[in-house]
Amino acid sequence: MKKLLILVLIPGSLFAGTIDFNRDVRPILSDTCFKCHGPGETKGDLRLDDREDALDAGVLSPGDVAKSEIVKRLKTADLDELMPPPESNKTLTPKQIQILETWIAEGAEYDDHWSLVSPKGDDAVNSLDHFIDKRIGAAGLRPQPEADRRTQIRRVTLDLTGLPPTPKEVEQFISDRSPEAYEKLVDRLLASKAYGERMALAWMDAARYGDSSVMHADGPRFMWPWRDWIIKAYNSNMPFDQFTIEQIAGDLLPEATVSQKVASGFNRNHATSDEGGAFAEELRVEYVADRVQTTANVWMGLTMECAQCHDHKYDPISQKEYYQFFAFFNNTTDPGMQTRNGNQAPFVEVPDEEQMKRLAELHKQVTSSDQKMEDYRATVAKSPEFQKWITKKSEEARKNGGTKQPEGLIHWFPVNAPAKDFRDELTGSAAVAEKGKFEVSDRETSKALKLNGGTQFKFDTPVNVEFNLPFSITGWIKPSGKPTGAILSKMDDKASFRGFDFWMEGGKIGTHIVNSWQKNALKVVTTETLKPNQWQHVVLTYDGKHKASGVKIFIDGRLAKSHVQSDTLKGTIKTNQPLRIGSRSTSSNWKGEVDDLRLYSRALREEELAAAAGGDPIQEILAAPAKDRTPADNKTLLARYLGSQDKAFKGLVAAKAKLEKQIADLNRKPVTSMIMQDNPPNKMRMTYVLDRGAYDSPKKEEVIRPAVPKALPPLPEGAPANRLGLALWLTQPSHPLTARVAVNRYWMMLFGEGLVRSVGDFGAQSTPPTHPGLLDWLAVDFMESGWDVKRMLKQLVTSKTYRRSSKIESMHREKDSENELLAHAPRFRLQGEFIRDHALAVSGLLNPTIGGPGVKPYQPANIWNEVSLNGGLRYKQDKGDKLYRRSMYTYWKRSSPMPNMLIFDSPSREKCVIQRQRTNTPLQALVTLNDPQFLEAARAFAERLLKSDKSDTAGRIDLAYRYATARLATGREIEILTQLYQKNLTRFQSAPEAAKEFLKVGESPRDESFDASEHAAWMVVAQTIMNLDESLTRN
Amino acid sequence: MQPFNPLLETRRQFLLRTGNGIGAAALSTMLNPSLIGSAMGEGMQQYGGLPSIPHFPGKAKRVIYMFMAGGPSHIDLFDYKPIQRKLHGTELPDSVRQDQRLTGMSSGQKSFPCVAPMFEFGQYGEHQTWVNKDLLPHTAGVVDKITIMKSLHTEAVNHDPAITFINTGAQQQGKPSMGAWLSYGMGSVNENMPGYVVMISRGRGQLQALYDRLWGSGFLPAKHQGVKLRSAGEPVLYLKNPKGFDRESRRGQLDSLEQLNDLNYDKFADPEIQARISQYELAFRMQSEVPGLMDIEGEPDHVKELYGPQTDKPGSFARNCLLARRMAEKGVRYIQLFHRGWDQHGALPSKIRQQCEDIDQPAAALIKDLDQRGMLEDTLVVFGGEFGRTIYSQGKLTKDNHGRDHHGRCFSMWMAGAGVKRGFEYGKTDDHSYNIVENPVHIRDMNATILHQLGIDHNKLTFKYQGLDQRLTGVEEAHVVKDILA
Repeated sequence: MKKLLILVLIPGSLFAGTIDFNRDVRPILSDTCFKCHGPGETKGDLRLDDREDALDAGVLSPGDVAKSEIVKRLKTADLDELMPPPESNKTLTPKQIQILETWIAEGAEYDDHWSLVSPKGDDAVNSLDHFIDKRIGAAGLRPQPEADRRTQIRRVTLDLTGLPPTPKEVEQFISDRSPEAYEKLVDRLLASKAYGERMALAWMDAARYGDSSVMHADGPRFMWPWRDWIIKAYNSNMPFDQFTIEQIAGDLLPEATVSQKVASGFNRNHATSDEGGAFAEELRVEYVADRVQTTANVWMGLTMECAQCHDHKYDPISQKEYYQFFAFFNNTTDPGMQTRNGNQAPFVEVPDEEQMKRLAELHKQVTSSDQKMEDYRATVAKSPEFQKWITKKSEEARKNGGTKQPEGLIHWFPVNAPAKDFRDELTGSAAVAEKGKFEVSDRETSKALKLNGGTQFKFDTPVNVEFNLPFSITGWIKPSGKPTGAILSKMDDKASFRGFDFWMEGGKIGTHIVNSWQKNALKVVTTETLKPNQWQHVVLTYDGKHKASGVKIFIDGRLAKSHVQSDTLKGTIKTNQPLRIGSRSTSSNWKGEVDDLRLYSRALREEELAAAAGGDPIQEILAAPAKDRTPADNKTLLARYLGSQDKAFKGLVAAKAKLEKQIADLNRKPVTSMIMQDNPPNKMRMTYVLDRGAYDSPKKEEVIRPAVPKALPPLPEGAPANRLGLALWLTQPSHPLTARVAVNRYWMMLFGEGLVRSVGDFGAQSTPPTHPGLLDWLAVDFMESGWDVKRMLKQLVTSKTYRRSSKIESMHREKDSENELLAHAPRFRLQGEFIRDHALAVSGLLNPTIGGPGVKPYQPANIWNEVSLNGGLRYKQDKGDKLYRRSMYTYWKRSSPMPNMLIFDSPSREKCVIQRQRTNTPLQALVTLNDPQFLEAARAFAERLLKSDKSDTAGRIDLAYRYATARLATGREIEILTQLYQKNLTRFQSAPEAAKEFLKVGESPRDESFDASEHAAWMVVAQTIMNLDESLTRN
Repeated sequence: MQPFNPLLETRRQFLLRTGNGIGAAALSTMLNPSLIGSAMGEGMQQYGGLPSIPHFPGKAKRVIYMFMAGGPSHIDLFDYKPIQRKLHGTELPDSVRQDQRLTGMSSGQKSFPCVAPMFEFGQYGEHQTWVNKDLLPHTAGVVDKITIMKSLHTEAVNHDPAITFINTGAQQQGKPSMGAWLSYGMGSVNENMPGYVVMISRGRGQLQALYDRLWGSGFLPAKHQGVKLRSAGEPVLYLKNPKGFDRESRRGQLDSLEQLNDLNYDKFADPEIQARISQYELAFRMQSEVPGLMDIEGEPDHVKELYGPQTDKPGSFARNCLLARRMAEKGVRYIQLFHRGWDQHGALPSKIRQQCEDIDQPAAALIKDLDQRGMLEDTLVVFGGEFGRTIYSQGKLTKDNHGRDHHGRCFSMWMAGAGVKRGFEYGKTDDHSYNIVENPVHIRDMNATILHQLGIDHNKLTFKYQGLDQRLTGVEEAHVVKDILA
């Protein structure tokens, strides 16, 4: 790069002595000229972004300012001639004109835009401080000395983990006098799990991560497995190139793992819509445009979106090149209209470690529960009570005479007068009336259950019916007219009707056996109707071969003709819904009377039907001589005894049912994460330039293939022209942007501002780097290290520059009010999430659990339903330790995000955000003073102080300072706070009710052993310390 | 201690944003509110805002925007033509529909029968303006004070993009709302009150979603986001001191906090620390000022009666209109009332009646109330939604029932006050109220006009973000509708 000496010193410039095209001239030309005379437009056939063009047009005379038309036009008083024209609202300052004049005088040399030229390192330099010190020295400033150690540990701990150091960690560091103490500290922080969380949070802004879909209904989605992936990737120090490749194209890697596919969800985080009237293709194009914008912005710092409608006005990206880039993302299978409820395909099921652990544990409990029941059965089988019962029942049976009963009965629901309820006589599970109440009617000599179209009963007993197992359902039915509804079911309406039912439809009878209605289901219904209002015995048998032909329906012993309505069953019908009589899970209540419903675990044979139609199934067994009873017979007897006579056994049954339900619950909700997926080559979606960016105006004359802009290096040799090729291209060493943009973001994280201060824009409109050599040196170092993120961060935080004191000298403010030169360390307010985390950490409430789904801490009432579609959506606050998770896990509904974080400049994450604003407002003060989350933290912090080994006021205040600021309290501070404490103590003592009210905030319990007035007064002190500028600031 | 205006963003960001053209002298001018030429006029101090604003003297000092969310039917409210009685029941001609894209909700219909409003209309005021007699009797009474614009249009025909477009200038998310732009450009004249206030009332029809982005700050600093004033709970989130801790105790706590922060300032000399102290003081003052404003006890009965019977109901549109006037008096720049429930795809005749019962009297009352206080002179009042509705029936047309789908090609809004013509109609649509035939007003033009009345050139209110000079009206051209200005 050519440096020219300028003769006239530029007033106010920090770069005395040299002029640099990229640093001094390009920003002026770009901002004031390129819009009309640049890459996108050439008014009057003039381009000023290219030296040859400018010379050809005759507006520049290198070395001769007076002859250069450009200068004349900048200075003329003739408004028709003046450039930039008045209507552009752009003017050049005299200083800017002077820079251009000097530049022309020196030969009007151009340089390629700095960010599009590959960075070059400097082997002679071995520390970043070299670059910083050089400029500080040239400006005649003196850098601040190293900050004190307490400041250092708090600074670096907050920066690398987002949490404050504990007093113990501080003392350890202070007392470690070895020269490596600081390095050891940094290593410990980089190895901590909180490091990954901290890094992930910054990435979530860029990746527009949210827990909802943004547009229209803004319904829930589940992308947290992607977030977990990010945390893990940082914690395992995944190299940044791999981090890039897996997120842009994880799904396209050979033999892609679930984890790699999950990573590709980066480009599914964008906003999606479910609005009824919307145009699917318009939305789909919008999604692709978002991916282009986000990918270009996050990895290259390019505002590629500007070229969607026309050539880029400032950067060398034509509209065609935009659509070439667009083509990389335009071949995906996800649709324009997406769901408002959960994840939209394509997605992968994610093995959730937590869930697997719980499942394994539950299965173990089921096994042990089975064993307990088995043992219990064995004990009862030998018990005299059981034998006595058999003897008694046998005598009765022999008196009455029994009928031969079919084997395989598993559930039986007779209705016996004068019972007030009814039960599964075989398992003992009692009917629970979900709707309506128990009503009986008469059936010949017996009683029957009356269902009035609104009643339904459930049974919490395990039911072993499966698509590949045979079963039979029998029962006496008296339909009320020609009803439609389920007589008996085990079915989940909300999970595509998974399960089975014994079903009537306009008086006809049959069954659904369903995995997923209608694509994986079986349905058979008779062609005739049952006689209305008459008792008939119906038997339905299924042979377990998942074919409709295996279903037979008998009415009063006669095989009825039936009609197959669906015959696609091929998967499980297991559901956690209980067995019901009278309805399905939420619908289809049946009207009529029913008795003697039976479920067999086999398909009954025709000759067995009559026996199933009457009598007590065990009467025959009982009537037979004891020696003739088979082991199966004995088992049936035992089951009957246990189900009807034994309370303890019922308890065991209920316990097992509970376990089964938990298992079904877990299985019902497999964890999924949305991923990227391309159409196969033969179904590739064509890309065209969209005229003015309009989705319905494709210029079909030319098919656009995926390609990268010409101003950047070509795709690596052999790289496929798809997202994988794109990812490889971004991470090849010759790419001028990726590494620079990445290290600049790390720099911003640690120094408050980037070396390039326009962190999201490295194009012609960017702010040139404050230390170009340093940026390049870091970028090259980053790549050469194998994109080692932890190493890079360590390098930054162990520098002298980073460790300086933040005290601002008046000299600094005069010469470098923006602290570009970093003669002192920057001081800035913590981001909102860290302010909340800080409060939770110092109070001891913080729940350090890593990863998993979003949580819902305290939120003021009615925030969601005030704006939600149809107005009914309520925020359901979590309980217990979920209230105290780190703020990055707070459930992020993007149309109505957590207000206490929005107030602290958290972006809504509807769109990619690279650089947050940092404001200072009264509403922020109201949050940290009045939000229950912060008040509760103050209460817990106070309790922590009271519980500590410090028993005097000064000692406790000092300890509070150690927690919140990592330093000791000064005498004056102790004095001020002691007064505050005394004043509040007196007040609370005279108004003990107020103290109690004050302490009530939050759901965590208070240690009642502490005097309320004292605790409340300490809570005021704790809150004051948590609200110190110093507590809220990274110093 | 040097003067530092707390409502300005941090010094560092301020300098970053305005580039390096501002020297220390200019900076100190900007930090001292008394030295700033105030857009609010004489005697008013201004906090924050850009030094270049106003670009020219504006007629409006504040805006009250009654936003009717869901898309009110222009045909049934303002854009009526007697000939529509004859068109009733006839098929919408292709020559009118042209190649209009229809939303997915009615594109499948086999028939598109035109529907004349099932209401009585009357002609009111000096210019015999057609207004729905049944639904808007009170609005009819103020037609001589307002300008009805019948030729608004937008490209968006679905709620989310349309409501985002009109409120933020772009159909996609991420841009600041108009109120945020104004807060950024004009600052505030009452530092104890937010400069941009939003109130929401529920309405009785189908509730389409609202989104924080509609009053959000987008890429502008978060302090410019609209502050929701709420009828239930705390009027401003987190405003109330906790139970058991009264205002006097808080005062004592903040005094201690200030002393402690001052000690820290001595150590680091960071002006941010002074700024933080000021913010806590502002918060403390806001705690007393806001609840007083929300309390309408002191309003005389005749004023409450003017706004109608629902004024007594917290959270109603009527109450919000009255509160809007109170906010306006206190110097809030931009007050936006969102009233939900206008999405009448079906059962329009009964549902639009309910909606109008809720809004007609209060909206007209606001005009009258401002006018009698002389505040209509410098308060710009805007009324309208994100789009209009189709002349044809969505779903079945029966004797007394029908629906209407979304329609972006034309719709109506009205404006009043602050230099807008009194008793005027602007723009014309065809017999079907389907296409504009005269004086189209894009929603960008509308937004440019609102800015213009405040003394802002929409081309010059910019913020550099992602390499572009971003503006509310975007990169497309926008024109101030000068014809409606007196």
